Amino acid sequence: MLKDQTMSVVLDGSPLKAMQSSHTHSQQTALSAQELSQEIKSFISGVDTVQGRKLSVREHARCAVRLLRSVPACRGAVLEHLRGVYDEHVSAFLHNLETESEASSGVSANLEDIIQEVHGVLSEFIRLNPRAWAPLVSAWAVDLLGQLSSKHAGRRVAPHSSSLNELLQLWMSCAATRSLMEAYSQCLAAMLAWCPDACVDALLDTSVQHSPHFDWVVAHIGSAFPGTIISRVLACGLKDFCAHGAKDTGLMVMGVDKGSRVPKIGSVVGILGHLAVHHSDSIRKELLRMFQESLSPSSPLSPTSSSTSWESSPQLRRAAVPFLLQLAAMSPNLFGAVSAELVELLRPPILLQLQALLQGIPREELDNMLGLAVHLISQSPSGGSRVLRFLADTATPASVIISGPTPSPHEGVREGCDRLLQMLLLHLHKLVFNRSEGAEVNSHRSASSQPQRVIPFLEELQAHVGELCAETLRLERKRHLWLHQLLCLLSVYGGPSVATEALCQLLTQAHNPEELALAWQLHTTLSSCMAGLIPAAVARCVAQIHTHTLGPRQLRQLLLNMATAIQSQDEERRGAAGVQSSMAIQVGSAVSGHLHDFGPLLLHGDPAVSHAAVRLLSCSPLPRTSSPAHLLLLSRAAVTHFFLALRRRGEVGKLGRDAGQAGEAVNCSVLLLSRFAAYSPLTLKAVLQQLVEGALHRGNASLFGGQIADMSGAPLPQIPPVSPDIGASLLDINCRFGTTVNFSGSVWSVFHAGVIGKGLKVRTDTPLPDPSGVMQNVQTLLAVVVQCCSSSGLNGSRPPSYPDEPLPINAEAAKVVAVTIVENVCPDVANGELSWPPEEHARTTVERDIHIRRCFEAHPVLFPLLQVVAAGRPALCYCSAVLRGLLATLLAHWESSREVLSTDSPWHLQASCLLVSCMGEGQLLPPVLANVHEAFPHLTPFEVRLLLLAVWEFVRGNGPMPQKFVFSSEKGLFCRDFSRDGDVARYVAPIHSVLHKNIDRLGHLCWRFQL
Amino acid sequence: MGDIRQSLLPRDVLSAAKELLYHLDIYICNLVQSGRQPPQVDSKTQELVEEFILHAPKDRNTPARRMSAIQELQLLEIMCSCFQEQSRDTVRQLMFSALFSLQGNQADESRMALLGKLVSMAIAFGRVPILECAASWLQRTHRVYCVRLAQVLVDDYCSMVPGSGPTLQNIHSASPRFCCQFITAVTTLYDLTTEELTPPLELLQMIVSWIQDDPRLVLINFLNTPLSGNQPISSLDVTPLGGLMRWCVKAPLAYRRDKKQALTNGTTESEPEVGPLFSALHLSVLQVLMLLPNILNEKGLFGRLALLQMECLASLSSDLSRLLDQADKHTHASSADSRVLSQLALERLAQALQVAMANGALLCSREDLRTICSRLPHNNLLQLVLSGPVMYYNNIHTPPLAFSPHAAHSPIASHPTHPAHTPLPTHPSSHPQYPTQPFMTGMPFPFRPSH
Repeated sequence: MLKDQTMSVVLDGSPLKAMQSSHTHSQQTALSAQELSQEIKSFISGVDTVQGRKLSVREHARCAVRLLRSVPACRGAVLEHLRGVYDEHVSAFLHNLETESEASSGVSANLEDIIQEVHGVLSEFIRLNPRAWAPLVSAWAVDLLGQLSSKHAGRRVAPHSSSLNELLQLWMSCAATRSLMEAYSQCLAAMLAWCPDACVDALLDTSVQHSPHFDWVVAHIGSAFPGTIISRVLACGLKDFCAHGAKDTGLMVMGVDKGSRVPKIGSVVGILGHLAVHHSDSIRKELLRMFQESLSPSSPLSPTSSSTSWESSPQLRRAAVPFLLQLAAMSPNLFGAVSAELVELLRPPILLQLQALLQGIPREELDNMLGLAVHLISQSPSGGSRVLRFLADTATPASVIISGPTPSPHEGVREGCDRLLQMLLLHLHKLVFNRSEGAEVNSHRSASSQPQRVIPFLEELQAHVGELCAETLRLERKRHLWLHQLLCLLSVYGGPSVATEALCQLLTQAHNPEELALAWQLHTTLSSCMAGLIPAAVARCVAQIHTHTLGPRQLRQLLLNMATAIQSQDEERRGAAGVQSSMAIQVGSAVSGHLHDFGPLLLHGDPAVSHAAVRLLSCSPLPRTSSPAHLLLLSRAAVTHFFLALRRRGEVGKLGRDAGQAGEAVNCSVLLLSRFAAYSPLTLKAVLQQLVEGALHRGNASLFGGQIADMSGAPLPQIPPVSPDIGASLLDINCRFGTTVNFSGSVWSVFHAGVIGKGLKVRTDTPLPDPSGVMQNVQTLLAVVVQCCSSSGLNGSRPPSYPDEPLPINAEAAKVVAVTIVENVCPDVANGELSWPPEEHARTTVERDIHIRRCFEAHPVLFPLLQVVAAGRPALCYCSAVLRGLLATLLAHWESSREVLSTDSPWHLQASCLLVSCMGEGQLLPPVLANVHEAFPHLTPFEVRLLLLAVWEFVRGNGPMPQKFVFSSEKGLFCRDFSRDGDVARYVAPIHSVLHKNIDRLGHLCWRFQL
Repeated sequence: MGDIRQSLLPRDVLSAAKELLYHLDIYICNLVQSGRQPPQVDSKTQELVEEFILHAPKDRNTPARRMSAIQELQLLEIMCSCFQEQSRDTVRQLMFSALFSLQGNQADESRMALLGKLVSMAIAFGRVPILECAASWLQRTHRVYCVRLAQVLVDDYCSMVPGSGPTLQNIHSASPRFCCQFITAVTTLYDLTTEELTPPLELLQMIVSWIQDDPRLVLINFLNTPLSGNQPISSLDVTPLGGLMRWCVKAPLAYRRDKKQALTNGTTESEPEVGPLFSALHLSVLQVLMLLPNILNEKGLFGRLALLQMECLASLSSDLSRLLDQADKHTHASSADSRVLSQLALERLAQALQVAMANGALLCSREDLRTICSRLPHNNLLQLVLSGPVMYYNNIHTPPLAFSPHAAHSPIASHPTHPAHTPLPTHPSSHPQYPTQPFMTGMPFPFRPSH
């Protein structure tokens, strides 16, 4: 129904209108003076003077229109009369809507055509002579619109004034109001050319009078004439503000609404706010223009400024900045539109002008403005970081050292900014802490209390924590103090997440202890109100590592920072224990929880990173509990890193910073391994095992003087090792089935010392590595192994009686080493029992024995390792197979040797000596037998064989069984009581005979072989 | 009369005003019958009028009561009939002046507003008595207010309500006196200095047609007014001649400026050309001037009363020179066109001066004229007029006494000098065969007044 009605009242039905107007026109010319006076009498009395009956509303209105056309003096009265007609129509219209009855629609329809007629006449008049009619009709229409909308606002069908769109829809569907609106638009369009201020003034006045029911009119008009309305509305608002602001100097402070005292500014804000939805761009331009114009030096005869514009009045110019502030304070929309670009505008020349302007303002008012500005900044939803940077840049004192992005600003400007910044911080401080108090109270009362007060400035800055931290860490004077304070506020405001982020950023970005101290300062401030900050921050750092968001340098820095943090704990422990130490402990425990996350970093491609990681790990405490998987991974990584560090130390040489770093890396690595080994039996085992395996690994062999030769005595696969034919088919291999079976270790095994007719296999000679480096590496490795083995992880820890005395080698640890050696050196488990067979049976294991010997040849480090094992009695028993194999090959060598002296085959001599001494140390041999190696260099090969054979015989007779060892509590070691074994003298006989034979040379050794 | 205030106070606005009008009518009737000279409305009554009809705020404390527009219209209607039905002229005049004579207080604004509406209505309804009263009012009142009244009427009839022009046209027949005063006021108002002060076309057409129909209309006020010499200072001129002359002279330049602006604005409205209208008007003015000697002679005022004031001419001349300067500055391109228009303006001035001098409307010496017109550019005809009748100097060797300022003070001396112009008429028409001379435009120039 509504639609139909509106359709029928289209006011631009031009043919009808034209007809109507021409009709009345012709009628008017026909009216004589006499008729006119009749007409006016009828109009005044409401009675048809000719027929003497009462005029209907319709006829009365027609009569009025006729008078309007013919008697100019009547226009006031006619327009006044028409108010009633319009009102009546609106009433009928609304009544119709309310009753929804079709019956009464006839009445309103009648009036509708009258309204149409009136509209036609008025718009014709306005078109013909806008200057005369536009002011008149616009004033009338606006006033009537205001009256109608507030009068009928309470009607049932009228939507609430806040729902602007519904309101607009309702009123625009009513013929009367629509007609008025169109008339007003027409007037405005005409008047904008010559007196825009007047019509906007009228609009604002009416808006104030009938607010908020009138808002739909303003909204409609505003969106029809955005360009002009905006600037005019601003100009009007400024004038009004200036007029009112002069009276009461107190501006609005801190969001306290003073709108009632400045009536127009409320309307201005409302209108602009509505327009901002669609025309925010032009509004922004206009506001910024106003700002700039107000600052630019006044040119009284500026050609651009029109006579009515505000620019020409110095008073208005002065008021512009306060006015804009006020506007911004009252409308977040407007503020949001301007704030972003305003900062860009504030270049030094503008700032100077601004300062010049503000100097003219009384102190109290200035304070108020400052407060307002601070309030605005804290409420600004976007661009906060830019504002902050601008303020900090400007407020930072000029310095010779630090040259900011902008040239040093004027001193007065700088002070102003300084003050502004400090007030901002103070204000934020108040906001943040009041807010949290309020929140607490609320949470006590009810869970569903209103949300915490939002501070947009901080809200926005939360996204820029990283930049803030970076700025803060630049440690420029004053600036970092401000920023640090701001960071604190931000953290308190944003809660744990922001605080964590900030701390994490500081940890990542700090480059030296002073910068790192900022992080601790921040933590100290925050720790009072936030718990678990450091673990969270560390967890966040770890997350960063996982996501690979950090570059190598940053990563390294982060790790080093954390290491420094943990190490400060030790320092503090020595010195006065402060807050920092507790924090260091916290960092330590937090890091320890994430050790497995740092582990992989040990193997990071960048040596700097891995170095940092090892530093961190070496100083961080170990967690109370940890899963075996993590531990194994970590130990693997640590051991691998150890070898990498050794290699790196060898590569970088001895000079320069790198060398120092590499050395330190090795030290750290050693520390880490030893601490880690001490952590639990599992880790000890893992570390040792991997250390030994690593030391024997092909890749690492060269570190320890090993030769990466073809060390396996076992037949290599028939496929040549460097076969280009990697893609050998399985079929081929299967066809040659018989040859691929490995018969090594069996009687059928074949020597592969070479091919008959071609001589021995050529051994590839690799250049020996730097012997001193090898020595160092071996020492390091042994140190690690010894440290690991001697750390009191396994058996009940017994503190050493003297601090200088090295701890005894732990038996279990030594056993691990032993087992690992056996596994690596002796590939064949067959004949692997501990007890020794008769010497002749060694023939069955020739191949394996050769393999073992070659291993010892290739890895000189094995002997020292064996010595370590020997020290951890009775672990050497487990190496029985290896010892046996080696001894067997040595026996074979000495037997077949045709040299004059044993010293002619140096390696074998040395090996023999070491082997025997090891076995002696490991108490596999009694001291008498163990001492025989001292005589070896003075003997012939045969004699050496005899002695070794005696050793063999003894071991065969007295098997190397661990159970023969007894723990002696006073020594803290396992010991073997040889008296329980059989008579040693039986085995000493060959020794004595050899002694006798060579008594000339061996006389001095005789006492060594006394039983 | 003052005692009725108490009875008026409780009434509503309209009925109080009606009541007061009624009482005022009775009061003035009594006043006239009492024969007191001069019949004067006392100040108490004035205050009542201001309070109850004009609703001027009496003092700060009581807010002024206001009538709605409809009530005001009713009041106006009542006034109209009241003046219409009053048979006695004196009473009506007294009543009118009691209501609308300006008192120099703050009620004058509402007085002027009400008067404007009343006169406007009177024009619409053809209320002759009111127009007559208004004509007298225009004669008595300071020209600033007269101009305002004229402005209201022009706005009402020539711009506000389209198609209402003919109603205004009728005042010519309804009240020639008012019509004449109206023309005077309008010519004073629109001095063609700016665009706003250019008469609407409709008004111009109306005035031209009025004067063409009856040239004596211009002089009607002058004819009907006894020259008592107590003409109020700075009231309107007795005749609109000075204003009309200004129109005619300035029109070519003023309208050209308008046209130029219209062109630069990009609007090319095809308005009817105003040139012919001003030509006709100029002719009518000259004709009216030539009516003057008879009338002046009848009244015995020839050479004693200057209907055209020297100050008026001086300002016209300076305006004209300024306009010409502007024209020179701004129009280099269409110089030919602009020169023609400038020459037309100068020629009109020359013609008007010559005819006015010849017919005793302007009383001054040629020496004065020369000083007044010294800044104007060269124009042959003007040169001729300024230099005076050369023949006369050659033949008679006596200065033209009639145009000396001394002559204005000796009425007797003016009579013998009157025929001194007789040699002139032959001058332009004696050389019709020389079209190259610019001052002989070929237009027959009837110098001799048609007796």
